[in-house]
Amino acid sequence: MLDQDRIRNFCIIAHVDHGKTTLSDRLLQMTSTVTERERREQHLDSMDLERERGITIKLKAVRMHYRAADGELYMLNLIDTPGHVDFNYEVGRSLAACEGALLVVDAAQGIEAQTLANVYLALEHDLAIIPVINKIDLPGAHPEEVAEEIEKVIGIAAEESIMASAKEGVGVPEILEAIVTRVPPPHGQIKRPARALIFDSHYDAYKGVIAAVRVFDGAFESGAKVKFVGTGAVTETLELGCFRPAMQALSALVTGEVGYIATGLKTVEECQVGDTVTLASLPSIEALPGYRPAKPMVFAGLYPVDSNAYPELRDALEKLKLNDAALSYLPESSAALGFGFRCGFLGLLHMEIVRERLEREYNLDLLITAPSVEYQVLRTDGEIITVSNPSEMPEVSKIGSIEEPVVQIGVIAPARYIGTIMDLVTTRRGIFDTMDYLDPTRVQLKYRMPLAEIVIDFYDQLKSRTQGYASLDYSLAGYQEADLVKLDVLVNQAPVDALSLIAHRDFAYQRGRDLVERLRKLIPRQMFEVPIQAAVGSKVIARETVRAMRKDVLAKCYGGDISRKRKLLEKQKEGKRRMKMVGNVEIPQEAFMAILSLGEDGGGN
Amino acid sequence: MTHLYIHIPFCQRRCAYCDFTTYAQLEDRIDAYVTALCAELRMLAATYQPSPPASPEAAAVGPTLFFGGGTPTMLNLKQFERILNAAAALVCVEQAEISSEANPGTLLNHEYLCGLRSLGVNRLSLGVQSLNDATLRRIGRIHDAAQAFQSYQAAREAGFAQINLDLIFGLPGQSLAEWQATLAAVMTWAPEHLALYALIVETTTPLYTQVTSGQITIPDDDTSAAMYEMAMEQLAAAGYVQYEISNWARSGGRGTEEQGNRGTEMLPIGAAYPMLPHASSCHMPLTSLPVCRHNLAYWLNSDYTGAGAGAHGHSHPRRYANLCGVDEYIAAVGAGRLPIAEEVLLTPQEWCAETMIMGMRLNSGVSAAHFAARCGRSLEATYGPILAQLAAEGLIERNAERVWLSPRGRMLGNQVCMRFV
Repeated sequence: MLDQDRIRNFCIIAHVDHGKTTLSDRLLQMTSTVTERERREQHLDSMDLERERGITIKLKAVRMHYRAADGELYMLNLIDTPGHVDFNYEVGRSLAACEGALLVVDAAQGIEAQTLANVYLALEHDLAIIPVINKIDLPGAHPEEVAEEIEKVIGIAAEESIMASAKEGVGVPEILEAIVTRVPPPHGQIKRPARALIFDSHYDAYKGVIAAVRVFDGAFESGAKVKFVGTGAVTETLELGCFRPAMQALSALVTGEVGYIATGLKTVEECQVGDTVTLASLPSIEALPGYRPAKPMVFAGLYPVDSNAYPELRDALEKLKLNDAALSYLPESSAALGFGFRCGFLGLLHMEIVRERLEREYNLDLLITAPSVEYQVLRTDGEIITVSNPSEMPEVSKIGSIEEPVVQIGVIAPARYIGTIMDLVTTRRGIFDTMDYLDPTRVQLKYRMPLAEIVIDFYDQLKSRTQGYASLDYSLAGYQEADLVKLDVLVNQAPVDALSLIAHRDFAYQRGRDLVERLRKLIPRQMFEVPIQAAVGSKVIARETVRAMRKDVLAKCYGGDISRKRKLLEKQKEGKRRMKMVGNVEIPQEAFMAILSLGEDGGGN
Repeated sequence: MTHLYIHIPFCQRRCAYCDFTTYAQLEDRIDAYVTALCAELRMLAATYQPSPPASPEAAAVGPTLFFGGGTPTMLNLKQFERILNAAAALVCVEQAEISSEANPGTLLNHEYLCGLRSLGVNRLSLGVQSLNDATLRRIGRIHDAAQAFQSYQAAREAGFAQINLDLIFGLPGQSLAEWQATLAAVMTWAPEHLALYALIVETTTPLYTQVTSGQITIPDDDTSAAMYEMAMEQLAAAGYVQYEISNWARSGGRGTEEQGNRGTEMLPIGAAYPMLPHASSCHMPLTSLPVCRHNLAYWLNSDYTGAGAGAHGHSHPRRYANLCGVDEYIAAVGAGRLPIAEEVLLTPQEWCAETMIMGMRLNSGVSAAHFAARCGRSLEATYGPILAQLAAEGLIERNAERVWLSPRGRMLGNQVCMRFV
């Protein structure tokens, strides 16, 4: 066991694609934590989906041993952080487990909004920041300017930035030395009652929930009975140890160390990120700060395309939930879609990931409705209800007022896009807050905006209107009253509840018009004419018509290849089967998400 | 009863829309290919057992032989002769309808066409596609409208009394007016038969790339539907009877004297099946029209033999497809093997579906008697509820003997046939 002052706990803060994974790989390699033979690319991201999307969803921690220039052996714990705004809370918890952070910035791109938000978060936790300017070998790199930007924005002297190319291995030894010399050792006392912070948890079929922890005080021994302060769960540790990067069992985890506890618990809900673990034998103990139960912010209906697959969907959600405390689901039913679930997600990316996992890992064919936020509705009878499904919004006459969640957003972009961004934000009911120049060419804009406006295609619009240069960060900033109305969609004269949405009164007309136009393009021509209408209350505000199919015939002669004709028809029939029959109209899955891609064609909103 | 399809996979140039098995710049292989083809035909003949026609309707079709491609008229007369001699072991060539596709861009002079006639080819199918030169160039055809007309005239003069013209609608840049002009012009030529195909942009073709990249635009579905409806009207007014989704035959009988019916044997008409349902329920025997009997065999889901690279064949319940590559085809036959690339045994269900998919293309539809004879089960027992539903939707019409597409159903054939698969 090493002295506590030879332990360094750190994480890497980086924007997507700025090279976090490559650098992590290099560190593992140079400390011989993984041999070249074992080396797989991208060690820390183990889920397929993460690798495909190039982002980190579940975090982990790796323990390395490093003999520093001073001749001493150090234990370095690298704690991985997720890189997406949906997982802000988890980022906060993993930062809380560290004393230092490598701030990796692309030498050509400069700092991005998400990175900056995380740096501020790290500074709040008093972390030592080591700027690393990566990819200096690339053409277009301007490392000195980036170093100056860092000095100006974060206040770390430009000469403290380490110039590196993780890909080429340049600067990696300097980084390791800087971790030892600039990151302070963990404080905390071995004599005090044992306390550890859970910064990640995942479900393992053999060992139950595995909690990744940072021990703040005292020690945990294998087999000890532990208690989770926030959830109140009590269990016996089946095993404890560290990740190297595979799990390696140890007899104890002591103050300052990072490792895992195999809890034997059945769901991650009982062992949530941010919670404090202590020994069950200890009397009441002060929890580590910052814990809050995972709270979904975005809601959508999930329905099986084939209604018979409802039980399979329920089982799959149950299994997914074991490993995802932020996912919530409640059964609901829709007149149009049958039985399904109203699911809560941290954000759109989280929603996409859950959907993809359900489809891939559980082989389900799913239909997902447009995402909504959770509204607080004060009814005229004085009762306050929360509504996360637009079709459940009470009648207008029964609504006193509606409050919606608002967020504080930060956008960093080249200054030439200020006008463009202002335009976009204004059409999304954003209220300007502040504008700061990070350097003469880059600017940070802050707004207050309804969350509902962000979940609908905001990020993609921001990206496309700024040629990909803008980056976005947001955090919840309470509720506020707004003049909202329910927009209903009627397909072939019948309302389709799953297409309803809530919109601000001033924007309802525009949104209704965009939506029906989009639906007209998405709903294939049927054998009869299908009117599509948008209505507020009983008033129709927009109408489009899907004209009847006039001709659908395989007129071509395929030589004698008769079976090919049959196969083409089978394929066509299969395509029909993947659509949802609503009344007598076949509606494709994408139509229920149509609201998300409004403005895609014209660029306007 | 024998139906034989022979594939000639050579073209001077591939057209932009074509996804058939055919190759350009392989002229030097033609002779070796013909040798292999003759060998394949001899192998097929050695084991061939003619299957009895499934029904009187199928029997009425008579023996047929069809040269398709590619471009069969890339062959010289000697090569045609060698193939026909080998084919004679399979098909009774004296009684058969012998068709060949022909490209107006190949040398279709009097001597060549007379040669084909004297070899026994009695039906010619000219790939005209359009009579607009700009459109022809756009789709990569190797001929212009004038050449198409010259070829047609030469074929007449050579004594062909059965001439079909292939046309395509929905082509890039083609307007309704242009299509109308093409139709009006070909009707003045008075061919016995017309085949009008709606352009299908197949994913493997250069046209697909051009369309998806926006380089080229094709008429939308509504325009294409209007073109089809226009064709139905104009051809009907000019005395053509539509007997299949894409095929029309001129009423007034098969090859008439004034069009130079020199030495054309009248094909045996046989029993008067199938019947073509007409507006006033006055039914006319289909084989009294100059229809393409070979294709009729396909539509009746009869057995047929396919020879040549990429050819398909069918001997109930087995369907097979030959190797597509010219060299691999030649090599396989050279090694004494049948050049089969894949074969499948159809399930009874698939078999019934294909009988319907093909049969419903005919305006005369599917007769209960033929279905029962071909599929070994009754039409009503197999598709009763589906047929009732389709009739209620106005997509098909029916009487005690047969079911056929309604005019609306003809426009929406896929929506109908999909129910059978």
